[in-house]
Amino acid sequence: MTKIELKGVSYLYGGKTPFEKKALNNINACIEAGSITGLIGHTGSGKSTLVQLLNGLLRPMEGQVLLDGRDIWEKRARMRDLRFKVGLVFQYPEYQLFEETVEKDIAFGPKNMGLSDEEIRHRVADAAKFCGLDQRLLKKSPFELSGGQKRRVAIAGVMAMTPEVLILDEPAAGLDPQGRSDIFGGICEYRRKTGATVIIVSHSMEDIARYCDRVLVMSKGQVWAEGSCDEIFNRADELEAIGLDIPQIARFVRMLKAEGVDLGDNLYTVGEVYRALIPYFKGGDGGAS
Amino acid sequence: MLRDITLGQYFPGNSVFHRTDPRMKIVLTALYIAAVFLADSWWSYLVMVMGAVLIILFSRIPLRIVISGFKAVMLIIVFTAILNIFWTSGDNEPLWSFWKIRIYTEGLEHAGKMVLRLACLLMGTNVLVSYTTSPIALTDGIERLFAPLKLIKLPVHEFAMMMTIALRFIPTLIEETDKIMNAQKARGADFTEGNLVRRVKALIPILIPLFVSAFMRAGELATAMECRCYNGGEGRTRMTVLKTRFTDWLMLIIFIAYGVGIVLIRN
Repeated sequence: MTKIELKGVSYLYGGKTPFEKKALNNINACIEAGSITGLIGHTGSGKSTLVQLLNGLLRPMEGQVLLDGRDIWEKRARMRDLRFKVGLVFQYPEYQLFEETVEKDIAFGPKNMGLSDEEIRHRVADAAKFCGLDQRLLKKSPFELSGGQKRRVAIAGVMAMTPEVLILDEPAAGLDPQGRSDIFGGICEYRRKTGATVIIVSHSMEDIARYCDRVLVMSKGQVWAEGSCDEIFNRADELEAIGLDIPQIARFVRMLKAEGVDLGDNLYTVGEVYRALIPYFKGGDGGAS
Repeated sequence: MLRDITLGQYFPGNSVFHRTDPRMKIVLTALYIAAVFLADSWWSYLVMVMGAVLIILFSRIPLRIVISGFKAVMLIIVFTAILNIFWTSGDNEPLWSFWKIRIYTEGLEHAGKMVLRLACLLMGTNVLVSYTTSPIALTDGIERLFAPLKLIKLPVHEFAMMMTIALRFIPTLIEETDKIMNAQKARGADFTEGNLVRRVKALIPILIPLFVSAFMRAGELATAMECRCYNGGEGRTRMTVLKTRFTDWLMLIIFIAYGVGIVLIRN
């Protein structure tokens, strides 16, 4: 089932000035309900503009954004409800924290929804669990935390609204490997528990290959391609031409293939390649030299 | 929405005003402001407006930009006009009266002049200084022009540096505010509904992160400056040394003539 549909969406920045710039040009795309979609593209390809269109922070100049088959701009008064349904985590969200305690900050969204105190407590506890924040942290000031912890608090703040669609713009940018996998683990956990649709904007092809089922590739304000990880990463040369890349390990597999060792296609994570390599080392009769 | 504020923004170009020495431009601006305040008769107002129009024309700044900077202070101008219309009493019969409100011809005249004066003041100085002078050139000019004050132990260089930094970070802070507002909106914050108290309260989620990041940025900037051995203006040399040219002095003569002209046709 289609959760979000974009029909001929265009968006223009700085209209009527010399700085005018077409950010999005006739975007058509569908996001399946319950999927994890990776949104990739070169810097300035329109990814961040696109995600802001999805929760109504920006209004398309042309075309429609449909959520569950209904135009999100159909009823302007319902815009806040839409924001609770489509949760957006911005890039470097740790800069939005403001409350005295972590707990209160996570509760900001649910409070705006007008929920009861009891329900808010539940939501905060659940969101904190998804993001791996333990009980002791909740009473601390968000400004005392480390960068990675702050990031998780900010993401929990959006998860606490239990949006049906969770959009994250570069959720792991600038974090260490442990921080990255914690955050992506939390996102997967959230999806598993709530069945939400997830969209992740990322520059890391490794993360996309590991966590996403679908990939949407943007280039110069247009949808360049849409498909499964296999379909997209098979087009390595074309991806390079638009300033993108394939996962490092996939590059390694291609190089091996060029050297005459064919491990097979569609290997994009270290784990998969590891399993494919094992036969070559066991017994030494795998044909490898 | 916040990006629309153009007051105090440099508009690159190569007009006669863009090339004028920033020190001279500050002097010219002072002269211009004095001239605008000296105008009183309608004839001197005509000269004043012509001066402003010529400045705008010669700067080759698109009219749209000049007007958009004007819009930002429209409210103040309208307010001044209203005050002048209602609070000026004249000798003749009021033009129109209702209850305690009386409107005299003098009031309308005052209001008209006030609006013209403010508009000329604003557009003229904006074009002379903000639009045609890059912030760096401007503070450089200020520093040099006020350098003699160092003799009485005024920290001229430090003030100029503070101004440069403040100007430099205005666009950054505006962008930051925009970002934080969007992030809080995404969490259901509402800045447009409710009474005054609620609206002021709604600003807290914006102001706190904004202050925190501004302080952090200031700390980082200070460290970065120290890493490059900044230790004040003492013994600091410059990449661009300002030189006044013939056209700068010509400009000064024109502006003095403009001021004198206005004074001569005063009542």
